[in-house]
Amino acid sequence: MQIDEATDGGMRSRYQRRMLEIRGAFEAGGASGAVTIAARSKALDELVSGLWGRAVKRDARLAEGIALVAVGGYGRAQLFPHSDVDLLFLLDGRLPEKDLKDSIRSVSQEMWDCGIRVSPTTRRLAECERFHEENPESALSLMDHRMVVGDATLYDKLAGQVAPKLLQRDQKAIVARLLELTQARHAKYGDTLFHLEPNIKDCPGGLRDAHVCAWMTKLHGVAAAGKKGGAGEAGVGLGAALGTAGGSASADDGNEFRKAVEFLWLVRCFLHYRHERDDNTLDWQAQDAAAEAAVGLVGRRPKKPDAAYWMRSYFRHARSVERRVAQMMDEMPAGKAPSRLLGLKRKREAEVAQHGFRLERGRVVLEEVGAGRHDPAQDPEVVLQVFRAMSRTGATLGGSAEERLSQALPELSAHLEEGPALWHHLQEIMTGPHAGGALRAMHALGVLELLVPEFHGIDALVIRDAYHRYTVDEHTFVLIDTLHGLESAQTGAMAEWATRFGGLLRELPHPGLLYLAALLHDTGKGRSTGDHTKESARLAQSVLGRLELDSYESGLVVSLIANHLEMSAALRRDIFDEETVRAFAGKMQTPEALRMLTLFTYADINAVHPDALTPWKAENLWRLYIATANYLDRSVDDERLGAQGELVHRVAALLPGQSAAVGEFLEGFPERYVLTRTPGQVRTHFKMATRFREDAVQLDFRYAPAVSELTLVTRDRPQLFATVAGALAAWGMNIVTADAFSNRQGVVVDTFRFTDTFRTLEMNASEHEAFVKSVHDVMTGAVSGEKLLSGRKRGRRKSPLVVVETRVEFDDEASSHSTLLEVVAQDTPGLLRALSLTLAGQGCNIEVALVDTEGETAIDVFYLTREGVKLDKEEERTLKEALVQAIEENAR
Amino acid sequence: MQKIEAVIQPSKLDAVKDALVEIGVDGMTIIEARGHGRQKGHTEFYRGREYAVDLLPKVKLEVVVADGMVEKVILAITAAARTGAIGDGKIFVSKIDEAIRIRNDERGEIAL
Repeated sequence: MQIDEATDGGMRSRYQRRMLEIRGAFEAGGASGAVTIAARSKALDELVSGLWGRAVKRDARLAEGIALVAVGGYGRAQLFPHSDVDLLFLLDGRLPEKDLKDSIRSVSQEMWDCGIRVSPTTRRLAECERFHEENPESALSLMDHRMVVGDATLYDKLAGQVAPKLLQRDQKAIVARLLELTQARHAKYGDTLFHLEPNIKDCPGGLRDAHVCAWMTKLHGVAAAGKKGGAGEAGVGLGAALGTAGGSASADDGNEFRKAVEFLWLVRCFLHYRHERDDNTLDWQAQDAAAEAAVGLVGRRPKKPDAAYWMRSYFRHARSVERRVAQMMDEMPAGKAPSRLLGLKRKREAEVAQHGFRLERGRVVLEEVGAGRHDPAQDPEVVLQVFRAMSRTGATLGGSAEERLSQALPELSAHLEEGPALWHHLQEIMTGPHAGGALRAMHALGVLELLVPEFHGIDALVIRDAYHRYTVDEHTFVLIDTLHGLESAQTGAMAEWATRFGGLLRELPHPGLLYLAALLHDTGKGRSTGDHTKESARLAQSVLGRLELDSYESGLVVSLIANHLEMSAALRRDIFDEETVRAFAGKMQTPEALRMLTLFTYADINAVHPDALTPWKAENLWRLYIATANYLDRSVDDERLGAQGELVHRVAALLPGQSAAVGEFLEGFPERYVLTRTPGQVRTHFKMATRFREDAVQLDFRYAPAVSELTLVTRDRPQLFATVAGALAAWGMNIVTADAFSNRQGVVVDTFRFTDTFRTLEMNASEHEAFVKSVHDVMTGAVSGEKLLSGRKRGRRKSPLVVVETRVEFDDEASSHSTLLEVVAQDTPGLLRALSLTLAGQGCNIEVALVDTEGETAIDVFYLTREGVKLDKEEERTLKEALVQAIEENAR
Repeated sequence: MQKIEAVIQPSKLDAVKDALVEIGVDGMTIIEARGHGRQKGHTEFYRGREYAVDLLPKVKLEVVVADGMVEKVILAITAAARTGAIGDGKIFVSKIDEAIRIRNDERGEIAL
């Protein structure tokens, strides 16, 4: 009734009735988000006009010189059920502010009484003209302005002159600040949209980002147009945001973006009504409720969509928004470093031309499709090279490249080849420093699932778990990022630990396998609850089969995946208890597997949640690693092969009909020997051992530019190890790693991996044969090792970068039948020869040798016996003196 | 109201948490700590480098309970954390003047 509505109380109850109606329409399912927020805005307009009308009636001075302007969300006519209302009281200055204070206050109070959280600001027209760097939000909110009630002429001045002038003049500064704010906000959310309980307003891919798109479009338009005016209509709607001013958006893209924003509007209304306040967090219960109500799900869908299904739809929409905002921010000429969403630390690369594409200012640009030429986007070679380049340089996909790749997907899948070539490509991508960015791009496009269909199960998968912050796929990428992060120096509390663990990463012979295992380790979570490690291992088997990795490499990957929780589990027990270490070491088998699992565990913990990896945890992880590494090295001697068993069988399988002979050959070797070789390599050694009649000294030489390998298979005799070491030293070879094992029958397999200090072999391929012959001659005694060595010119010794202190330690307990000796010394040429000569000179027999180098440090472990038994204290003392002296002499 | 602080072996944390939940203690604070008592550390060698283990990893648990619960809590923690070896840890009890629930201003024992 008219009389009722004229009073404040009447207006209030009309507004509240209207609110209930709007809610009813929404919850009945008919009204969309767009309709709801427009309706609330309209209802508020009526209320504000009504209240102001009454205020003017009370004080006629208010009729002129003051306009009530909706800004921010209200200015866009998009008011969510519990959003704040930003209202600007615009003055022309003719009336002193203090006279208006009471009226303004009473209108605001009325609104508060209605339950509306209004943020009133009072400004004079002249003040609106200036842009304040420290307060960019006020300029940004002014971008969406709309007249509600009051002095129309005054408002027109704002809309037609002041606001456009501000944008025109300060456009660059506003863009810069907007970019900064957005980047900071994204960083707060880990630069990812894949949160388990996303905030749909502030998270990347949320409504704020959609506003940023609209603002960017407007600012871009202002910059392009370069003239005043044009900002007078009601806010910046979707239409403007979809305009071509934003860059290379296609019609399809624009459609997706619009649908995404409408979806987000719908969900925000849903959340506001559910929480009954301005809470935009999609917590788990809200997700359940949204799924049950099938909020925003259109078209074909399962009969009872669960929360995981619903969240995937949310993430899909959020992705569209995120892509759009990333594109727009990319295309704005701004002076600041982009955030991770916009492109990882882009290097200023000169234009790099490749086959089918090039890199321009850090972005991938595909070659145009010419007449008669194939579309590079459909060529798997080109596509994989693109991602490789992104992984190596941190480049991102340009807008059109992204689109073309997306559309070329079906063609791509038809031409994709599997096998070693694919593995090679994958390795190249995963081992690049910016692998995370490349993989995420591949995932977003669907290329990753093309190559590894097993990944599909964990796409945007939400795991209900208080500890995990990210969805399973994002967690995987963060894990890979963490590993790559270890490659460079870090700052902060974790710096020291990053350096230590980084050292382990550098020592890995097969880093690609670690990354492959990382990529696949949680794929099993898509299938079932409970133990996902088994399922992940099973899925990995099929991937490895397709990539045609050999059995040793496959074995490493599968066991890493199957065991990927073992170290975390061990950390929950007493790590200083021998039994804990022994049980854990039993699962590790080799030092390489241990290193891989240690690194994996470090990264896995870090990828659960940014705060999960504390220095305390890192310290315990390191302690467990050391204890286990030491245990593995000290138990080599005691774990020996029998004539049968799984490990023997693996080799015998390659030599049908000879399993008895194989068993005899392997019996007595430490398990470590077989565990660190492929069955193929062991087969080679076996064959060498069958040829003693022809040649007692069997040598197998494999040259590689970086590190070459020489394996000796022969019968054990005194000074054997020293002789080979001497021959290698005479040729100027620097031994990096070596091991020596013997079986029950006294056949030894000694493997040396070395670098070619004087590059003799590298420069002369014909020298390879001469080299092998020379070593052979020294071994048979045909040539004197001493003579060879003395004839060799010794290179000038460089002074060491790091001075390593000599340490000689004995351990009588580790092995049951030999004494363990550990020598740590400065890595100098001839060291190994000097040590082994000394050992021989003291009558010691080397049962097992494990030689390793770490930078400038030589770490040599020997299992010794003397006259068939352990050394006594006196013998140890004498030996130690001799060793120290030999080391010193060799160093001179 | 009293505060019970327990310094225990990290490997005993799960057992102690379960024991406390079982007797009705819902809230607790867990702190990662390092320390030693009479059980001093030792030195570990790895690849020629010394890694001194003089501060061992521990976990510190804090709960605040009503006076009547104190003995029960002490018993629960002790039973769950004890191994009999040196390094089991210690429990300290102190008086609490006030407890306030931030969400709704409740005070006293009802805030626990």
